[in-house]
Amino acid sequence: MSDLGAVALQMGAGGDVNPFYLGTFVVYLVLVLAIGAWGYRKTDDVSDFWVYGKELGPTLATWSYVANFVSAVSVIGFIGSVYGNGYSVVTGIIFGLMLGVSGLYFVVHKVRELNHVTFPDLIAELTGYEMARPITGTVLLANAWVYLIMQLVGAGLLVTVITGVPYEYMIWVIGGVFILYTVMGGLVSVAWTDLIQGTLMVGTVAVALGYMAIDLGGVASINQQFATLESAYVAPLGGGTYTALGVVASIIAFFGTIFTSQSTIVRINATDSIRTAKIHLAAGGLILSVFYIMLVMLGAGTTVGLSEAGLAVDNVDRAFPVLITEYVPTTIGTVIIVAILSGILSTTDTRLHACGVTVSRDIYDYFTDGEAGDRKLMRVSRVSTVVLGIAATGAAVNPPGTIIGLYNWRAILLTSALLIPVYVTLYARDTAGKGVLLSIVLGATLGPGWQALGEPMGVPATFVGVSMAILGLGVGHYAWEGGREASAGAAVSDD
Amino acid sequence: MSALGMPTDMFLVFLGTLVAGSLGTVHFVVVHVVMGKPIDENIREDPHTVTDGGDDDV
Repeated sequence: MSDLGAVALQMGAGGDVNPFYLGTFVVYLVLVLAIGAWGYRKTDDVSDFWVYGKELGPTLATWSYVANFVSAVSVIGFIGSVYGNGYSVVTGIIFGLMLGVSGLYFVVHKVRELNHVTFPDLIAELTGYEMARPITGTVLLANAWVYLIMQLVGAGLLVTVITGVPYEYMIWVIGGVFILYTVMGGLVSVAWTDLIQGTLMVGTVAVALGYMAIDLGGVASINQQFATLESAYVAPLGGGTYTALGVVASIIAFFGTIFTSQSTIVRINATDSIRTAKIHLAAGGLILSVFYIMLVMLGAGTTVGLSEAGLAVDNVDRAFPVLITEYVPTTIGTVIIVAILSGILSTTDTRLHACGVTVSRDIYDYFTDGEAGDRKLMRVSRVSTVVLGIAATGAAVNPPGTIIGLYNWRAILLTSALLIPVYVTLYARDTAGKGVLLSIVLGATLGPGWQALGEPMGVPATFVGVSMAILGLGVGHYAWEGGREASAGAAVSDD
Repeated sequence: MSALGMPTDMFLVFLGTLVAGSLGTVHFVVVHVVMGKPIDENIREDPHTVTDGGDDDV
């Protein structure tokens, strides 16, 4: 059993049931299911289910993006990371993510104007090969499924600590409810629950930080006490947590994930216009950068608060749940719990939805030569959502690694496989399609493969994956140049 | 210690993160709101992707 799994089961074994927290959680689940039922009635066809009929407006798109973005990694993993290693998470991860959101803003029109549904749709056009769908779909499915496990583990850990219900039971309750409502309403219910969850989450994290700031003498006082605990906590590279080379690799990896996530591409294609696609990234980037600054400061407050109260924890992922249950008053704790659950579960539903879309549209549809009708595809979407959701829940019972460890793995996979070949080809439309496919396969295998080998010679896996993708694209283009005719003339804009 | 009770280099990383996330907002407000440059809404009606239609040996 992994360390995380052991900790999870240990946590579930000895807790007392807190009726306030358990009641809050039950009310929350009932509300979510009600929205799922409403979404089911609003979902008329497969376009509604996959991309909201391409009618997402600026407000809904922005908050749906924000809510999807903030995950178990953010609320438990990042606060845990600050607890263990200080503010270096801002340098190594958050800076790259924020740069990525703004970077995507500047190229989003190139994606939206092609008017597809999924990322593999786009890549099939760019390469001229339908084979691109299952190849890319497999990469995206691996990412979405691992992400799903992370979310379920985070939610399970949190809810187990705060309610006292054993982890091995709670994980199935959470998994079951979210599979059910995502299957019912598709992106209609996902987008609307995201709107509620996103606003709730950002507001309550601000409240939580405000409470800790008042309790500990202000934000500057928190930072000074944080530095007193360990000077490396306030060093940009964490006093050795990152090397200069490692931090550059990490920034590239997380920058790339913004461009290569299936759920992000699906949401862009669900917007009602290019203007909305731009606004949701512009506003989302601003909201998220403020949110993450607040969140890591809350992490510092958590570290200082727990230290002062003599509540040190061995597993960093437990830091914030322990703060809620042992440090803050129950009323404040209840508010914070709603915020955290919102963050985790709104990401869970989006990834679950992305899994279903990927299987049906990008893999099943390819192997049936595009002959499946809309009703059949929607049924495949729903069935695959259920199957992959149950499989992820089963994996989350005994997770394969820590939340941050899984988060890093999928960042390396996505960025190595897709960033260079897709976005280079988006602007250089005469790139050889087979070269793009070669680049994707090389990046997808050698990036994560290098990491699995333990990053020999200290060379970061992201560097290896991205380098091999560039090499594959260059060699493939040179070898197969002039062999493409399929997607010529498909370009829309030339800026 | 400098602003917000943290060393200058760490504060600059925080500031850089805020700026990095806000680049899109700044561009949108300056270019499309203040300067009034319209956004080119050239979304295709039909994504008529021309590929091999499931046949790989094109």
